[in-house]
Amino acid sequence: MILEIYKDALEYSAKDWKTLVLLGVICLFSFLLLPIFLIAGYNYRVVSNAVHGIINGRDPLPGFDDLVDMFVDGVKVVIVQIAYLIVPVILFLIFAFIATYLNDMAAVVLVIIGSLITLVVGVIAYLMSQMGLCHMAYNEGVFSKAFELREIKEIIDEIGWFKCILTYCGLIIITFVISTVVSTIIGAVFTVFGFSGLLFSAEAASGIFIFGMLVNWLISLFIVGPYLGIFNSRSIGLLYTMQI
Amino acid sequence: MASITDCVVEGLKYPFNDIKKLLGLGVLFALISALSTFISTQSFEVSTITMNFVENANGTVSQMASSQLPTGNIYLIIGLSVLSFIVSLFILGYQYDIVKFAIDKKPELPGFNDVIDLFVKGIKYFIVVVAYNVIPMIVLFAGMVFGGDVSVMMVFILISVVLFIIAYFLLVMAINNMVAHDSIKKAFDFKEITDNIANFGWGKYVGIIIFTVIVYVIIMVAVSFVLSFITVALSIAIPNQIIAISIVAIIEGLFIDSYASIFFNRVCGSIYRESIK
Repeated sequence: MILEIYKDALEYSAKDWKTLVLLGVICLFSFLLLPIFLIAGYNYRVVSNAVHGIINGRDPLPGFDDLVDMFVDGVKVVIVQIAYLIVPVILFLIFAFIATYLNDMAAVVLVIIGSLITLVVGVIAYLMSQMGLCHMAYNEGVFSKAFELREIKEIIDEIGWFKCILTYCGLIIITFVISTVVSTIIGAVFTVFGFSGLLFSAEAASGIFIFGMLVNWLISLFIVGPYLGIFNSRSIGLLYTMQI
Repeated sequence: MASITDCVVEGLKYPFNDIKKLLGLGVLFALISALSTFISTQSFEVSTITMNFVENANGTVSQMASSQLPTGNIYLIIGLSVLSFIVSLFILGYQYDIVKFAIDKKPELPGFNDVIDLFVKGIKYFIVVVAYNVIPMIVLFAGMVFGGDVSVMMVFILISVVLFIIAYFLLVMAINNMVAHDSIKKAFDFKEITDNIANFGWGKYVGIIIFTVIVYVIIMVAVSFVLSFITVALSIAIPNQIIAISIVAIIEGLFIDSYASIFFNRVCGSIYRESIK
């Protein structure tokens, strides 16, 4: 089942390269702050498409119409994620705060225990936040649904906690592998070119190296980054539909 | 409506329905920006003159004879402040109309035809805003005057901040209530106001207002970021700093402040419309 999710999501994200480039352009302007929310809103649309459909390989990518709507959705997504993220952060700060009043050995032990607890809580909070977003998307964007902890917990129970965490680990691995492999291949190609350029002159070689880095950066910005973003959103949205 | 945040989406799109009127309001905002820039340059001049006096005569400001004060500048400041206050009353009157249109769910923007009417509405709006902020203001001043100790003062300030926030949440509904019934008494009908909010749901009500404020802040931060770029570019291009700053202030008033205020009041009106369902 999990493998089908990955397969569908990988194919889905590769459907339209224009969308990827467009997302890359938005990403390029994200220092202006507003585009960050547009990207979050677009990923939310992908989730929304996924939770309302099934694995079928025919869903089209969401469009870029109605930017205002996309922006507001993005703000919602960011608020939900921050709200869930605050929990582990505060937990860790409490541990750190108590630790300052203890002597050396106890403090170290407490911080280690605290970090472990924070890690577990953080993973749970992340899972809940993603499922919360899916739940919100499923209920046509009703904001409070993202914080219906009991409903979200029931959904995760139905899917299975182990399956959820396994899917997430898979997502992390796939994301890491794709981004590394792509940049390694491009890097390798340009390294070969660069050394062949050395036959002519040192300047040519260094020029080729710099050009290679530029190409690498551009491809990861315009193609790989958006691709992985859509891939992750689609996978999580499909995971939500796995409840029986 | 599937989600209450749809009100925010609708509010964000609403000002684009009639760009001319948006710019009409923008002119008023631009006027205020220009006036306040001018006022601050004038008051800077006054303080420079005063500082010169203090340094040259080795006296204090209270020893200055009134003839030594730059009276011309001071009268100018007072006159301009009164002028900008009057302009802001018109803006408030226009906001009143926007809330009205939102409650009636009209898709177009209100016009500027009846100037006197706008002015009267602006005064009403202003009175309600002041009335709701009186109590927290009194607490704040009491803290400043009687709270000799720093910690006591902090407590007073904290209480007044909480009161300000509570007053603000009531104020939004109070203005809606006033506009809906077109009577200033209704702005102080606390039973009806709290009933309306309870009907809407307190959590939902507070949530949507905070959400709207967050969207507002994000837009403002993003815009001011862009505007600061423009300011830097202009101040390189134009040798006179004041002109560069005024140009940016006018741009902000013309497009951004007017847009933001229309957006915010539209959402507030929509909240009322949803709450009386």
